[in-house]
Amino acid sequence: MIDHTRKIKDVLWIFALAGAVAIAFRLWYGLGATTNLSDQVPWGLWKILNMVAGVALSTGGFMVGFLVYVLKIERLRPLVKPAILIAFLGYGSSGFALLMDIGLPHRFWHPIVMWNEQSFLFEVTWCVMLYFTVTIIELSPTVLERLHISGLARFLHRIAPGVVIVGISLSCLHHSSLGSLFLVTPLRLHALWYTRLLPLHFIVSAMGAGLMVVVLVKLVYARLYDPDSIFGPEAAVRRIPPRTPPGKNETPYEGRDMPMLRQIAMIACGILSAGFILRVADLLLTGAYESLFHPTWESGLYAGEILSLYVIPIILMTIPATRNSPSGLGAAAFFPALGLVANRLDVGIFGYFRSAGKTYAPSAGEWALSLGVVAAAGLVFLFLCENCSVFDTRWEDRLASSRRFNSAFDKLSGIWDRALRTGLRRVTLLAVFVVPLSWAALYPPFHGEGSVRAIPVIPPRAQDTERKVLTIIGDGRMPVVFKHSELQKRLGGKKSCVKCHHLSLPHDHSTACYRCHRDMESPTLIFNHAAHLDAVAKDKKLKGALPANRSCSFCHPPGKPKTAKTAKPCMECHEKDMSPARKPPEALAMATACGYRAALHKTCLDCHRKEAKRLNKPEMTECRTCHPSSKRARPKRAPQAPQILKARASGAARRQNAGG
Amino acid sequence: MIGILVDVTKCTGCEKCVAACVQANHIDPVAAELDRATAKDGLSANLFCALEPVKGRYVRKACMHCIEPACAAACPVGALVKTPLGPVEYDPTKCIGCRYCMLACPYDIPRYEWNRTMPYVRKCTLCVERLKEGKRPACVEACPHEALSFGDRDLLLRKARALIRRRPKRYLPRIWGASSWGGASVLYVSDVDLSAAGWPRTASASIPSITDPLIRKTPVIGLTVGFGLWALMAVIKRRQKLMSGNGKTDVKTDREATGD
Repeated sequence: MIDHTRKIKDVLWIFALAGAVAIAFRLWYGLGATTNLSDQVPWGLWKILNMVAGVALSTGGFMVGFLVYVLKIERLRPLVKPAILIAFLGYGSSGFALLMDIGLPHRFWHPIVMWNEQSFLFEVTWCVMLYFTVTIIELSPTVLERLHISGLARFLHRIAPGVVIVGISLSCLHHSSLGSLFLVTPLRLHALWYTRLLPLHFIVSAMGAGLMVVVLVKLVYARLYDPDSIFGPEAAVRRIPPRTPPGKNETPYEGRDMPMLRQIAMIACGILSAGFILRVADLLLTGAYESLFHPTWESGLYAGEILSLYVIPIILMTIPATRNSPSGLGAAAFFPALGLVANRLDVGIFGYFRSAGKTYAPSAGEWALSLGVVAAAGLVFLFLCENCSVFDTRWEDRLASSRRFNSAFDKLSGIWDRALRTGLRRVTLLAVFVVPLSWAALYPPFHGEGSVRAIPVIPPRAQDTERKVLTIIGDGRMPVVFKHSELQKRLGGKKSCVKCHHLSLPHDHSTACYRCHRDMESPTLIFNHAAHLDAVAKDKKLKGALPANRSCSFCHPPGKPKTAKTAKPCMECHEKDMSPARKPPEALAMATACGYRAALHKTCLDCHRKEAKRLNKPEMTECRTCHPSSKRARPKRAPQAPQILKARASGAARRQNAGG
Repeated sequence: MIGILVDVTKCTGCEKCVAACVQANHIDPVAAELDRATAKDGLSANLFCALEPVKGRYVRKACMHCIEPACAAACPVGALVKTPLGPVEYDPTKCIGCRYCMLACPYDIPRYEWNRTMPYVRKCTLCVERLKEGKRPACVEACPHEALSFGDRDLLLRKARALIRRRPKRYLPRIWGASSWGGASVLYVSDVDLSAAGWPRTASASIPSITDPLIRKTPVIGLTVGFGLWALMAVIKRRQKLMSGNGKTDVKTDREATGD
């Protein structure tokens, strides 16, 4: 016999190996270097896709248990073990992805010891841990029988109904609580998704789509290992390769498991219909439907999610032609799974983009780990299917076949055939190629240093003369109308911008006054010496243990005292930052900025004094001329003399600057 | 309970509070300077306090130390706790790094040390260590214009109401933080509407007041579902027994099928 699953396994191994590399990087370099998460979007792919959606997709475990053990629908009993296996793998992979997602994975046990009963995440953690234990208890008889430990298996069989009921209660709690997690973000989650019924929507959609996942997995299994159970005895007679199932109209036969799958899909469809009615009613009652009619991408996502999760499967299940054919049933089972994932991604990620003001696209490392964990779960699934009686009892036949297979290249040369004949050799060969390639693709230092990225400097916006009049708020109490364009004209037109706009700061369209004039009264040094040491050392590529210490001579000429006066003028290095304005006088080098009040007064007062003398209008120098709310004629004390051009940096000012 | 009253009309945006905050929390000033230039809204793992331009005013952005904090309700291990004194304190020894507090905070305050391999959540501590020494918070002490005042929250509320009553033209008749999201220890009076631009939209109910009633029902729901299913199973079993007329065979098939 030939192992048809080999190529699928190869693909899964490739993903799993790349995922392993991503895990290594995540543990070594940390979250910031390997993910695109930010303070605005703190939850990303691992939590939403792997955890929230992954757990929801494995709902089949408790739903089939409910149908068989509680409602006693004996026909569905063959699906109990597969469903439990799905739940086990779904929860296992979700838990592992969550472990990688939390910032301090070695503290995963903290919620067991440190309790916060007020937290939904605490409840989810506990329920998921307990339910995972339940799935282990439910699954272990299958494995124990294979290992011929029947005593324990028989005991576990006896307690199965009780365990199933505990599992159902736990599932009811945490599936709804996963929805409740997002109840804490009213006004931030988009109105289309935020409702108080979020927990109910979550559990109902998970119940429906989870059953559909069981159908889907069963169909995939049948294609790989057991085609006649679904595609009819004809497939077995003709030995049709599983990749080309017989056309739905030609087959007069029906696989023996089709009625069972159809029944379970109908049940799922009923649950999905109820969920659909709930969603629509909720949408109408909360009035969020209005935002559905605005052509935003949120409304598109919402519509797609509703179509895929509810509408398409319900339509497919009502048409007999699709309902009765394996491929039609497969489509009806696939769309809810897709819609469920879309729904969880919408609620957990896309719904926040508008309020966060920032979008998020997962990094390559995030995709690799996310898919790698899923692929590893798929490999475990195939392994258990082949070695234990999960779907049927014919594991020995399959075991015989899985050891021997035709390698893809055996017609080209005997070397390939020999090298690739066993699984282990094949995986080793894959690893030789996949690990270095994914290493190169995912290596975090290639993607910039953590979250610190180069940000282009934006020139001051005042270069264009759009802003004719500014209102300077000053200290808030006394706004002053400041005629920007007039001052600009007087100072020498467009080229005079740098006289006021000294700093070109990232994200800062024009230099705010307080950037230089930090202090109300005393002069402030705006020069950050420590930052310049590092910057010069890096720019000139200085070597040694402490390269910053060798950078002095780049600004201070050797043999002269290292003071601000002797230093190189700022403009010698920063001229390109100040484009396209005229080069300012060299005396601007190492200037301390005068106090805030003096700076603002300096802008107007000189001219006012001159004009007051010329026009003989002494009131032009009075406070109330500019500050209408002031009743004083003269300031309490004269504004401090401007010290812009005094190159003197007091120690206190430098310390203060370093602190700021 | 202590708090801070921010008079937005008095702030000139000198950022002395930010400089003092960096110093008081023993943060690397170079890293803080770099973050100030690059952080999207001023806050980062190195800056717990920032001035946000809102309609030409500078509005202090830092932890509000809510009375019913969403972060404390969200934290699965109880690393964030509202202390009776006033501050919402963070215990780094408990934190597991799930970042649910960052998702839950309605003011978008907690920040994460993304650059570190072993990261923690960082946010304003209301200078608890300084309070224990009998000092005021660093930002309050640094403010040259007395835009920040520190004291008992009730007294600050009274002071804010008096300010608004005495200067109705200068202040809008609203105290931000008095009741929004269930109230906060940090209060704001302003002459511009803070909730209109750049400032998070607020509701009067706190976030724990949404989640608490639900989570209190959790054990009840779990037990009800459990016992309900048990009863349902018993009823169906009995009905099947009655319908088949022979209980023994039913049980036998049951076990056979399970052992499959």
